Amino acid sequence: MGGTSAAVPSHGLACAPPAAVTLNPRARRRRASSGSGGHRSSPQQPLRSDLLPPATVACRARSQSASSSNVNFGRGDDADKLLEDLLKQHGEVVYSSGGPPDPTVEADDDAECLSFAVSLAKAASEIKATDIRVLCVRRLVYWTRFFIILTAFSNAQIDAISSKMRDIGEKQFSKVASGDTKPNSWTLLDFGDVVVHIFLPQQRAFYNLEEFYGNATPIELPFDTQRQ
Amino acid sequence: MIQPQTLLNVADNSGARKLMCIRVIGAAGNQRYARIGDVIIAVIKDAVPQMPLERSEVIRAVIVRTRKEFKGDDGIIIRYDDNAAVIIDQKGNPKGTRVFGAVAEELRELNLTKIVSLAPEVL
Repeated sequence: MGGTSAAVPSHGLACAPPAAVTLNPRARRRRASSGSGGHRSSPQQPLRSDLLPPATVACRARSQSASSSNVNFGRGDDADKLLEDLLKQHGEVVYSSGGPPDPTVEADDDAECLSFAVSLAKAASEIKATDIRVLCVRRLVYWTRFFIILTAFSNAQIDAISSKMRDIGEKQFSKVASGDTKPNSWTLLDFGDVVVHIFLPQQRAFYNLEEFYGNATPIELPFDTQRQ
Repeated sequence: MIQPQTLLNVADNSGARKLMCIRVIGAAGNQRYARIGDVIIAVIKDAVPQMPLERSEVIRAVIVRTRKEFKGDDGIIIRYDDNAAVIIDQKGNPKGTRVFGAVAEELRELNLTKIVSLAPEVL
């Protein structure tokens, strides 16, 4: 028993790098943003925690095989066969990467953010904001999922839109916005997974965020948005 | 570690090329050095011709990259190859329309998400 327990840590170390290397390195940085907003449910993190228990199981299995191969030293065929069997049983787990996240979990996560984004866009259109675009940017940047870009025409209107959006975020989705508190020519509300950019018409043309995020997938909105 | 007299590159397309820090502002009290996310007062030492910003103009800038290593809350240490800043106006809007090079995600926590959203790469 002492031999196996001593072998486990060494094999644990040997097995650790494949899992650690193949994990998405950006997953670590997502944690920071969840701390900032306090509202990100990252799809990557559950995967990492899921990965650990099977890996240890597999390590234990391999360490047993190692100890048995020490006993049967010289009979390479048996040891090879044993290893092959074990590899068939546990090999997938040992060498599996974080891989693509589970699509269903991803879709559920996105659906919540999407409904939040659409309700924010709807609120903006009620206060007569124009040219509202909802962009799904999660394939382009990892620090957020949706951009809402819209145009307002005065500081009073920007104030109304941002206060209404903050209300919706806090009351219906329990998300608190950081970003600008006073109306500005480019007012930004950061809800974590959804980032709202409210521009005056001049600034919108100046910064031209839609062009910068041209590869993002536009989301169809259930209402008409006036185009300038 | 940006202090008065430090020369910085400009990481945006505002038209300035080199800045010299003349005052560190923001953050805690009478601090000596500025780090990533701090706002400084700087003077433009070198500018691209035919652009709105000119040499010897005094502006505000946010530091986005430092050669001094920067440790985030999650323990990751980032050290860049240059000292760079992005020029902003009094209200915090960037003067340029695009940011060049990688910027740290910690800027987002310091209410500088506008710079993060203009950057091509966020670390």
